[in-house]
Amino acid sequence: MATHMLSEDDIALAAELVLGLLDPAETASARARMAIDPAFSGEVAAWEQRLMPMLEGAEAAPPEKIWHQIQSGITPATGQDNQQGRLRFWQGLSALSTVAALLLGVVALRQPDPPAAPAPVVQAPLMVAALGSDTSNMSMTASYDAQSGRLTLTPVSMDTGDLYPELWLIPADGKARSLGIVTRDRPSRIPVSANLRGLMGKGATLAITPEPEGGAPGGKATGPVIASGTITTI
Amino acid sequence: MTNPGSTSLDFVQRRAAEERAQLADILTSTGRGNRAAFETLYQRTSTKLFGVCLRIFADRTEAEDALQDAYITIWNKAATFDPGRASPITWLATVTRNRAIDRLRQKGKAGLAPLDEANEVADPAPLAEARLLADAEDRALNGCIQTLESRDADFIRAAFLRGATYAELATRDAVPLGTVKSRIRRALIKLRECLE
Repeated sequence: MATHMLSEDDIALAAELVLGLLDPAETASARARMAIDPAFSGEVAAWEQRLMPMLEGAEAAPPEKIWHQIQSGITPATGQDNQQGRLRFWQGLSALSTVAALLLGVVALRQPDPPAAPAPVVQAPLMVAALGSDTSNMSMTASYDAQSGRLTLTPVSMDTGDLYPELWLIPADGKARSLGIVTRDRPSRIPVSANLRGLMGKGATLAITPEPEGGAPGGKATGPVIASGTITTI
Repeated sequence: MTNPGSTSLDFVQRRAAEERAQLADILTSTGRGNRAAFETLYQRTSTKLFGVCLRIFADRTEAEDALQDAYITIWNKAATFDPGRASPITWLATVTRNRAIDRLRQKGKAGLAPLDEANEVADPAPLAEARLLADAEDRALNGCIQTLESRDADFIRAAFLRGATYAELATRDAVPLGTVKSRIRRALIKLRECLE
């Protein structure tokens, strides 16, 4: 193990990460460091192992209904598949986190109430997505107005270090299309090009990867997915 | 030929390594969306992970909800499991612990409160061979935690099992945040040295 290269501060930081003692920004930066620093990520794994005995108490059989509830709680069979190209892109991509789900609620609440009195005007549905990660505190919200073809991405917490956050649209075919580089610290308004508008819809996924300046070379993502979420209509 | 009365350490270690490799395969298949593998994973690990949930939630119903939540997270995240980096059972227990602490925080029940009696007492688990090794690790960790000042040891346990934060500790002890941080960080370094 190469952990001898780590300072005591780094060792303590790894322990704090495992114990959940870091604030959200510190957690995000420690997680980002794990991705690039094998010695640090090894120390985090070592702490998980060291503290493991504390988690081991009495073993107990859960009631049978739990397994049935888990089965009905996981994604439908179409949600995961073995298409290799898709899998590669999805490596590291994690499900919508609870935090992101809560954010979705916030976005939904922020939508103005529909006008009460006049005859209803047929409107294109408003689409929203909460982008999040199970392993970091990265989160953003997205809303898309099908009428104007504009997508607004609002970062809540986004850290891509020296790289630039690129937004991807992944519709049912599993192929990622770039929607361009977004801004880290304020909302981005992105005009979605006419050929991609048809792909924006319920169930499609939005994802962010860190990419070099100017965007992913050749339109192929080079960085890991740091946040993702599924589009929902409201 | 194995005499159950005098299980050799070598045999125990070999069995543990086999169990670990099998579980890593099952978890990797789960990550590819294989539901049958996921069911096997549940059958093999649910008593252990329910034990983890019961350590964090003394209330059985809450522990059951936390377990359900943990397995759904495991299904969604299994593709990120890297057998070269973590042992499968540690990975599973870590995911379960993190989800359970998230739930505890959402419910506003996280904090410095002492662990319930029920959580503190570890019943002897069924004696699988791998359990013998785990017991040795358990004794080592307990022994080392006991070398720390008891207030630091209590806090480390409360952080891991109750979601306690530095801010709560600073408020309770009426000392600046920076002071408690550096005190706990020193304790963590000491704990690691003891465990080396």
